[in-house]
Amino acid sequence: MTQTRWLALYAVTTLIMLAILGALWIEVPLKDGARNITGQMFPGGWMAWTFPVALFFWIIASLLIVMTLLAIRFPETPRIGILGIETTRGDRLFISLLGSAFIALIWLFFAGPPVWGALVLCLLWAAAVFALV
Amino acid sequence: MDRPWNNKAWFLVLPVLALVAISAVIPLMTVVNYAFNDTFGNNQFFWAGLEWFDEMIHSSRLHGALGRQILFSAIILAIEVPLGIFIALNMPKNKGFWSSLCLVLMALPLLIPFNVVGTIWQIFGRVDIGLLGRTLSALGVDYNYVSDPIDAWITVIVMDVWHWTSLVALLCFAGLQSIPQAYYQAAKIDQASRWAVFRHIELPKMKGVLLIAVLLRFMDSFMIYTEPFVVTGGGPGNATTFLSIDLAKMATGQFDLGPAAAFSLMYFLVILLISWVFYTVMTNLDRDETSGEAK
Repeated sequence: MTQTRWLALYAVTTLIMLAILGALWIEVPLKDGARNITGQMFPGGWMAWTFPVALFFWIIASLLIVMTLLAIRFPETPRIGILGIETTRGDRLFISLLGSAFIALIWLFFAGPPVWGALVLCLLWAAAVFALV
Repeated sequence: MDRPWNNKAWFLVLPVLALVAISAVIPLMTVVNYAFNDTFGNNQFFWAGLEWFDEMIHSSRLHGALGRQILFSAIILAIEVPLGIFIALNMPKNKGFWSSLCLVLMALPLLIPFNVVGTIWQIFGRVDIGLLGRTLSALGVDYNYVSDPIDAWITVIVMDVWHWTSLVALLCFAGLQSIPQAYYQAAKIDQASRWAVFRHIELPKMKGVLLIAVLLRFMDSFMIYTEPFVVTGGGPGNATTFLSIDLAKMATGQFDLGPAAAFSLMYFLVILLISWVFYTVMTNLDRDETSGEAK
């Protein structure tokens, strides 16, 4: 594909994802004139969606889309990092996410909520995984 | 490399994707949502944040169930894997009547549905009418899986060993069958001992299937529900309440959807981690073997 076509693809994908995010934001209920982020987005619906959880899945979906586009445009060969195992970008993303979940749980066990500190640790962990593993 | 790509093939994956979405992804999303909400019924939910995770991760009930679960899986693996290898080594190697008979007999327990296995052992172990229970009490052994925690554990473990050792044995047998005779002949010429043959020929060649056997048995025992539920119902007390039994009690017995959802997500993460470790070890073993053969 040509450079312009790639750019068009990026633009369309970004627009679609932003539109989805916007649509989710519109569903966030109003409380005293302000958006109540933790309010039920679809009251009475069986899945009990709230914005933080929707945002979490939106981020996961976005990551998967970015990884797919990267894999098509810049194919890679697996490499062997400090763990001694062969990893691709996708593997490193998986290790980052799984590790992050455990970091958050360990933080919760020792320090309790909120888990913003754990989020910082998770980002550091992800950076380390992508650089070294 | 200018290999033409036919991305239309991806459309063939769509039916599977739709099935997985309905059977796995959407239910998982629902569980994640429930884990962050509280409900008093009537399909009304209230944001709870990390409350359930915080409560569950510090819950002595979950720690107890996790401890019992790990102990159970460890005992199961420690018995079934060596026993399975031992049985496989002693099965008739040549393809004849006895070999087929052994295979069929070994496969029998694997074909019985989980709840039937539970019922068989529940009756088998009963002191009043069961063959095992009555025989043991006639011999003067104080055995009662309903009231004694140790007896309940022994019953559940023996039942699992009876049900699943065949799987390990059959997998190991398949691994053994694939070893060329030349290896044994070479060992005979070197006058290798039985142990040396096992250690340097049979065990390395069985490594692949053995890992699969360990993975299967670990995952299955870590998620065990039906058999102990039918035999002991998690009792006496909480003695045989393993993770999934506790989870089911919490989710469908007490209808504590939030805590149960948080619990099941943590359970899921542990299983995901262990499966990934096994998968990575297995694929790396395969890679080492193929690159080793290429040298």
